[in-house]
Amino acid sequence: MTQQNRSITLQGVYFDGRSSRDQPATLTLDMQTATLQVEGFADQNWPMRTLGVEAPIPGVRRAVTLPGGGRFETRDDAGVSAWERATGRNRALSGVRALESRWWAALAALGVSLGALALFVAYGIPALAQQAAFATPRSVLATFDRETIDVLQGGEYFGPSKLSAARQATLKAEFREVAAWAGGGYPYRLLLRDGEAGGINGLGANAFALPGGTVVMTDQLVALAKSDRELMGVLAHETGHVTNQHGLAGVYQALGLALVTTVITGDIVSAGTFAAAVPAALLRGGYSRAAETQADEVSGKYMLKTYGTTKPLQTILARLEKEDSEESGTPSRQSGPSIFDLLRTHPGTPDRIQHLKQMEAAGKLAPTR
Amino acid sequence: MTDPATLPPGTFLMGQHAQSAPPEHQPPALATVTEYPVSFTGEAGEYFRLWIVNIALTFVTLGLYLPWARVRNRQYFYGHSWVDGQNFEYRANPAALLRGYLLVAALFVAYAVSGQFDRTKWIAAVLAVVYAAAYPLLVRQSMRFQAVNTVHRGLRFRFHGTTGGAYVAYLLTNLVASISFGLALPWAWYMQRRYQGEGLAYGSARATFRGDVGPFYLIGLTALGLTVAGGVVIGVPLFALAAALIGNLDDVDPTNLLSSIPFVAAAVAGYLAVLILYVVAWQYVRGATMAYVLNNMELGGVVRTRATFSPWRLVWISVTNSAARVLTLGLASPWTAVRQTRYVLGGITVRAIAPLDNFAAGVGGEASAFGEAATELLDIQVGF
Repeated sequence: MTQQNRSITLQGVYFDGRSSRDQPATLTLDMQTATLQVEGFADQNWPMRTLGVEAPIPGVRRAVTLPGGGRFETRDDAGVSAWERATGRNRALSGVRALESRWWAALAALGVSLGALALFVAYGIPALAQQAAFATPRSVLATFDRETIDVLQGGEYFGPSKLSAARQATLKAEFREVAAWAGGGYPYRLLLRDGEAGGINGLGANAFALPGGTVVMTDQLVALAKSDRELMGVLAHETGHVTNQHGLAGVYQALGLALVTTVITGDIVSAGTFAAAVPAALLRGGYSRAAETQADEVSGKYMLKTYGTTKPLQTILARLEKEDSEESGTPSRQSGPSIFDLLRTHPGTPDRIQHLKQMEAAGKLAPTR
Repeated sequence: MTDPATLPPGTFLMGQHAQSAPPEHQPPALATVTEYPVSFTGEAGEYFRLWIVNIALTFVTLGLYLPWARVRNRQYFYGHSWVDGQNFEYRANPAALLRGYLLVAALFVAYAVSGQFDRTKWIAAVLAVVYAAAYPLLVRQSMRFQAVNTVHRGLRFRFHGTTGGAYVAYLLTNLVASISFGLALPWAWYMQRRYQGEGLAYGSARATFRGDVGPFYLIGLTALGLTVAGGVVIGVPLFALAAALIGNLDDVDPTNLLSSIPFVAAAVAGYLAVLILYVVAWQYVRGATMAYVLNNMELGGVVRTRATFSPWRLVWISVTNSAARVLTLGLASPWTAVRQTRYVLGGITVRAIAPLDNFAAGVGGEASAFGEAATELLDIQVGF
């Protein structure tokens, strides 16, 4: 092993670890021993393996730690690096340092970081949010439904339904069939409410689902429909949001995004503003296009099975869209702050109708559901 | 406060001189005062590369590299901080930090998950109570960890603050501050800074904090006045604007307001203004407190620090730094960190009546990394 005892001599400063005195010193390293020479003191020798060398930091003096708490610092980075390579110390962190000193590596790191971040935002957060939504216990969901309904009632979003008791009973009975088909073990219930009960937050003709299985439909939507099949198409769509937990996943996703933003931009957004944003995200949210399509597919399956056609949902979607464009002269309804605003202002109604038509065509070609 | 037996004799004598001198002024020619400027030699470009490479490595290792990244970032800043030709060094062991991180993360997950289910809610409650009760201990642990891993001229700093002191400074004061509706908040800041200052040691030389509670109230009142004045300056025009808008469009449904562009612009401007006001007030408190503490610290009776940086200039730097971070989606963070550190350290002077190479090593103050990991991960503001 003792082939060529290349020794390395380093000039630097020595601290004995017992006082803060800095003393000029020379450290000589060969493969077996280290020798420290300090002016006015006897030379000190140590076996090589008892020495430590601290990981390199760009632009900072290199430090060799000596037995007994002493410390030798030198600007001779090349010398220390050569010794590190020869003895195989700090391999990983020397590699990190090599990356840190090159601009191309920094650019690559930037690319990797942005890529990882983009992947996390695009796939990681939605997947985690979906898992979290499915993992959320049903009791929590029920509480969540109850509290949201209270908020909506208090905020004059809707009032008690003006439909006759008989009409309400019919609709609820029909919904029970939809709910039984939808499954998932949720305690489904249909709430009929007047969406124009005087408040400025009126929902108009609308329907939405809450994560615990509560589905709300307004009198105005009931009035807009020409048949109950249309309404059941809408309600089946809503059960699709429940069974896929779109609502809660959306909330978790917004939370995750807000968290990422906070981490990136530093502490400017305090935890307070962060918490305040949660109810807003909940109420404004709406669903993504993908979630709408998924719920449409659920509804389409139900209608194909029950009615043999997806036409009812198509017609009511088209009518809602038409009503909206006719009413665009009175912006109070179109641009009002509607919550869970899935049917009305969601873009892409023609695409959704098209998709339902395709489902129907496919369903007829292959009658096995 | 200094232990004469462990100090070199020269230090002790000069310490006596310093103590008999008038507190605010120089000891009159008994000892020559040498001023050592503090400087920071880090560069934004160099630090950017270190920062981004370590972030990428953290991503690639799914977070396991995080402690190494943290330590390297700190080492860069410590290593580029100079006093009298010698730099600082940060010596934390990343592996120990990783164990701390994992433990804290596991406890946090246990807390979050058990809080979700009725049957296990008591676990979350117990964890929360334990956390609240142990909070001052964690702060103390963290300070010990930070101090003992800070090295200058081959000597470690130490932290000798007691557990009882931690409970007074971080539990009692916070309780009193919240009971008194914030009236006692400056007193809480004072107690916490005093606890930190009095507990600190460099080698065997103990530090003393000669500050008083009054200036903290002055700082708090200035920040409060700033917030109120800023609130009026921002609030009145916005309110007038909103009134004008509603007056002009009185036949329009108020719900339409949400979609009117001037209204949205005004709301966004108001929100941003409040955010900036918050940053300004808070950064002023931080900057002014730091300056006051530095002006009233004394080490071993022979060394004092003096802050010549302006808290207001620091506020300006913080606000523009925040804006730069937001506008660049965080990419400017290294530049902002270097800019702020350079300004702060450039505005600190160390004044000594004894040579700086005359300190002796001390003992004690070792700490596990758990407190440090907890305070970092749970974002406890230790301050300083």
